[in-house]
Amino acid sequence: MAISSVTRWVENRRLSWPVDHLRSQQVHLLVVLALLAYPGFYHLLTSSSVSNLAVAILPRMDSMVAVLYFALFAMSFDFISGYTGYLSFGHAAFYGTGAYLVILVANGKIPLLPPGTPFMISLLLAGLLAALVAVVIGLVSFRLTGVYFAMVTLGFAQVMYVFVRGWNYVASNPRDGPAIGSTHPDGFEIGVPFVDQLNLAIGSFSGDEVTLLGHTLGTYTVSFYMVGLVVLLSYFAMQRVIHSPFGRVMIAIRENEERAEAVGYDTFRYKIGAFVMSAFFGGIAGGLFAGFKRSVTPESTFYFLTTGDALLASIIGGFGTLAGPLYGHLFDYGVREFLSNRGLGGGLLPYLQETLSQAVLTTTLPGGITVEGFIQAALNGHASLYVGIVFVLFVLYVPGGLLGTLRIGLGGKVSERLPAKLWGDR
Amino acid sequence: MLRTTGLTKQFGGLTAVDSVDFELGDELCSLIGPNGAGKTTVFDLLTGVLEPTQGSIELRTDGEWVDVTDASPDETATMGLHRSYQITNVFPTLTVLENVRVAAQAHGDDAATFWRNVGTYDEYVREARGILERVGLADRADDLAQNLSHGASRQLEVAVALAGHPDVLLLDEPNAGVSSESVGDIVDLIEDVAEDHAVLLVEHNMDIVMEVSDRVVVLNQGEVIADDEPSAVRENPAVQEAYLGGYEPGDLGDRTDERADDAPGSGGVA
Repeated sequence: MAISSVTRWVENRRLSWPVDHLRSQQVHLLVVLALLAYPGFYHLLTSSSVSNLAVAILPRMDSMVAVLYFALFAMSFDFISGYTGYLSFGHAAFYGTGAYLVILVANGKIPLLPPGTPFMISLLLAGLLAALVAVVIGLVSFRLTGVYFAMVTLGFAQVMYVFVRGWNYVASNPRDGPAIGSTHPDGFEIGVPFVDQLNLAIGSFSGDEVTLLGHTLGTYTVSFYMVGLVVLLSYFAMQRVIHSPFGRVMIAIRENEERAEAVGYDTFRYKIGAFVMSAFFGGIAGGLFAGFKRSVTPESTFYFLTTGDALLASIIGGFGTLAGPLYGHLFDYGVREFLSNRGLGGGLLPYLQETLSQAVLTTTLPGGITVEGFIQAALNGHASLYVGIVFVLFVLYVPGGLLGTLRIGLGGKVSERLPAKLWGDR
Repeated sequence: MLRTTGLTKQFGGLTAVDSVDFELGDELCSLIGPNGAGKTTVFDLLTGVLEPTQGSIELRTDGEWVDVTDASPDETATMGLHRSYQITNVFPTLTVLENVRVAAQAHGDDAATFWRNVGTYDEYVREARGILERVGLADRADDLAQNLSHGASRQLEVAVALAGHPDVLLLDEPNAGVSSESVGDIVDLIEDVAEDHAVLLVEHNMDIVMEVSDRVVVLNQGEVIADDEPSAVRENPAVQEAYLGGYEPGDLGDRTDERADDAPGSGGVA
């Protein structure tokens, strides 16, 4: 309600233009504020008296960084697949292209680009190279529709996957993928290139720490904010496209391509355009991934299951909602971490082992198995199994996904309808 | 406005359209014929969905004849040749207004703009509202296209075709499946549209054809068998043979004469 009273206050002073703009962005603002507050919230809860429970439930800070850049990849997947209806099953090709380019530049393996090239520039190049790859893939693939389109793009990505696995130039052991070598020991800086004061490095060990008002923000927290900044800007750029005349044509193509052509749209060109834009942001996401992790594998980039994770995020979050994949991936990642082992984020299993008393743990259940044994058998290393079940349930019962269902419930876009619902239509 | 020379389309051994020479002026011309005569194939050829096996198609734009034989559907649409479909073929999950707006936008120069909000382009919304007013759907503007009744979606079908500023409008059975009490609305719409567009109409209801057409072209097994004024076509023995092969031409003539007395302008071949 605070925002509401502020807007009313400013409105009385006849400053309605920026207020109108902010009001239309209320939901975006709330989500950004919530994400901004997350590191502090996480820190407070995990050092409080309920720390055991908090550690078990909340995603770790480094996980949240991964959620952000992968969510950007999933959004770029949704941008083409959810809005034009063409399932880009080879989208991992763009993610991989971006990731490999950033590492190759840092390792001095790209002619004319020194290892010290600012990260922001190599990130931009990552996007542009991915876009170029999309032109080539798109020119061939958009001659087909439906399943055949999906299969051809998948084929391209798998060819690239096999290729980088055997390409000695990228790494001494290409099957394990390249890592940042000694030519670029510093962290990758996000900010304004060439202005040192306006840059902060990301990465778990090489990232910057910042001391703010007596609190030290760790490397993960700084990475979270800086990666989040790029993801946020990319999201707004894609959202801008969706809400443009061009975006309306994308939706028309999804709804009825035959008619879109009959009313005068050269749909081939629009599809290529949308595909290229989507690949650009996919490449940026891959670049962020490489910049944060500093080493990638063919499996984590070009492999088709990478696209599968983006598809999962889009379906859980809501197909054709753009922001949905962020929530979808957060959900997917959160569930995985919650059900994983101790070393992977402290989920349900270690929580139960720590909190249940020894007497309960050693109780024998029917069938001769102890409670501890049962917990081990049910929870240890089976996160993917449960995520799979959740996925099936979503497709069956929540086909619109998290955000899509919310949209149906509110009768329109959440960012438009939620404020109206909360504070009444004006 | 539009003319074809020796237009032929073969599907394997089947000749669906057989050397059709046809010219459409600024008039309302009906294209009729029994099922399978090749009417929809002609539409597909004209708009570029299908490529002719032989022959040429020319469109008159700005006083000059332009060859559009090899043009794609979006190119013929941009040149002013628009069509509606026999089976409703719109954007189902978009609103009625957005259906027409996106079609109007195709005709402007801003469709490829991806950096500005669509809300800055009022002109297409205004144009779309004007067209909805004209086809009688103004009060349904905010409904989803898929929620319209059959009759209303036939009106939307025409509205979407109108949105591209067509010079030539091809209407493929705008009445298909419309209940008899709503037929009047659609007929009014066809006549209204024909006032400022050249219209080629495919229609099975002969009452409507005879009532609204300036000219009637009859297609049978891909060939033009008659091309004349409505009354002359009705009396044409070849046409009666095509529709009702087996009847003696004379029998049919007697019957239609009787009916024509009761209801002037109606009756006829079907």
